[in-house]
Amino acid sequence: MRALHTAATGMMAQELNVQVISNNIANMRTTAYKRQRAEFQDLLYEHVSRVGAQTSSQGNVLPAGIELGSGVKTVGTPRIMTQGSLAQTGKDYDVAIRGEGFFKVTMPDGSTAYTRDGSFELDAQGRIVTANGNLIQPGITIPQNATGVTINAQGQVLVTQPGQTTQNQVGQIELSMFINKAGLKGIGDNLYLETPASGAPQNGTPQLNGFGDLQQGNLEQANVEAVSEISDLIAAQRAYEMNAKVISAADQMLSATSNLMR
Amino acid sequence: MQNTLLVGLSRQVVLRRELDVVANNIANVNTSGFKADGAVFEEFIGKTARSDNMSNRDRQVSFVRDRATWTDFSSGSMERTGNATDVAINGKGFFAVQTPGGERYTRNGGFLVDNTGQLVTSEGYPVLGENGPIQFQPNDVNIKISGDGTVSVAVAGNPGQESQRGKLRMVGFDNPAMLQKAGVGTFALKDGATPIPDTQSKFVQGSVEKSNVRSVVEMTRMIEITRTYTQVANMMQQQSDMRRTAIDKLAEVPA
Repeated sequence: MRALHTAATGMMAQELNVQVISNNIANMRTTAYKRQRAEFQDLLYEHVSRVGAQTSSQGNVLPAGIELGSGVKTVGTPRIMTQGSLAQTGKDYDVAIRGEGFFKVTMPDGSTAYTRDGSFELDAQGRIVTANGNLIQPGITIPQNATGVTINAQGQVLVTQPGQTTQNQVGQIELSMFINKAGLKGIGDNLYLETPASGAPQNGTPQLNGFGDLQQGNLEQANVEAVSEISDLIAAQRAYEMNAKVISAADQMLSATSNLMR
Repeated sequence: MQNTLLVGLSRQVVLRRELDVVANNIANVNTSGFKADGAVFEEFIGKTARSDNMSNRDRQVSFVRDRATWTDFSSGSMERTGNATDVAINGKGFFAVQTPGGERYTRNGGFLVDNTGQLVTSEGYPVLGENGPIQFQPNDVNIKISGDGTVSVAVAGNPGQESQRGKLRMVGFDNPAMLQKAGVGTFALKDGATPIPDTQSKFVQGSVEKSNVRSVVEMTRMIEITRTYTQVANMMQQQSDMRRTAIDKLAEVPA
């Protein structure tokens, strides 16, 4: 019974689909989370009778053959890297990217990771770090006596110090762009790593050369839309149930056959 | 006597094949760009030793066999995703993709950009434009795909200026039955057929075409298949009971 196995692939695919959807819903309120979607494709077909085979000695040609498919497989769960909406927080070190680009983050082992999550803080030395305490690249240190910090759209970090009328620039936030953002590898903590599929990072300054601009006092929300996730969830659940029904049907047919011998 | 069993068997073989087709449709109820299959049956007159020169002729025994599967090429529903590299087709056309096995055609437009900047399917096959694959530059942003397939991007560093990256091919066919399923959502063209350009269909950016499997229809077909199969099995059972009874009765030696 091929149908048994075909329906089993259908059930497995929908199970994975529900996993992806539930992760999206779980991260609805995660800063800068990018939703994923499960991509399915049909499996190979067995051609039981070949198209174009001759059906008689007069040379009649079979116009259509018998193709039996063998189910479905998951090809990938690409991230949909669309812009999330910006929510105002009013906090000085909250920075959202409006447009293309990722912040660069130095991991504890010295490697570089990328994130859209700009909920930054200062560490004890006054350096700008992510919420997990990882330094951003290039490192920026805020002087101890700074009374006000401005991060402008171009990523310049300006501080006001006592006794001075003008602001001093203490650093420049840089962004990285990838030709295939969907090919980045998510490692949790809102961080992504470069992969062979994503291509090499293109570094640059916000607002120039196609990079997005920075918005101080804002955070990017997840790009998950509750309504579409829930409707996908319903579709996935129903598809799962229908594949289970196919298995029962195939089972009934098998039992009808096996009951022939009494 | 034997014919009942054999005719029943031919029906059961066909029903199993049909369930395989239905199972594949239901397995792909959420596969973007998938086209449902159906099965076609035909009567098959069995060749038997017959005598036709009596006043009551021998009746011919007809069996059933599956002749072909056909593909329903109607459009599935369109789901809006808002993703720039998702493209659906409004009309009868197809995308052309380059696979290791040659040119293939698909309705699944959930595309991605790979690490070399080419527009590819989720399998990684390049999507073909009118002059080969669509190639993006590393700092291209804001991909726009118009109704006729023109792919344009905003050029980094030159705000307001658009530059073209190619034009997607819209492939049509005189007769979609010339297409054969090749797995992974693609169709291959049977020998001797050639695609024709399609000027009627339109590309729709930011949408994906869902599977066109009508689940209600498939479920009812499935119920029909299982019921019929069980009935045929019962008929065969009765036939075999009848023979057993006949043998018992006829072989009874009167005391």
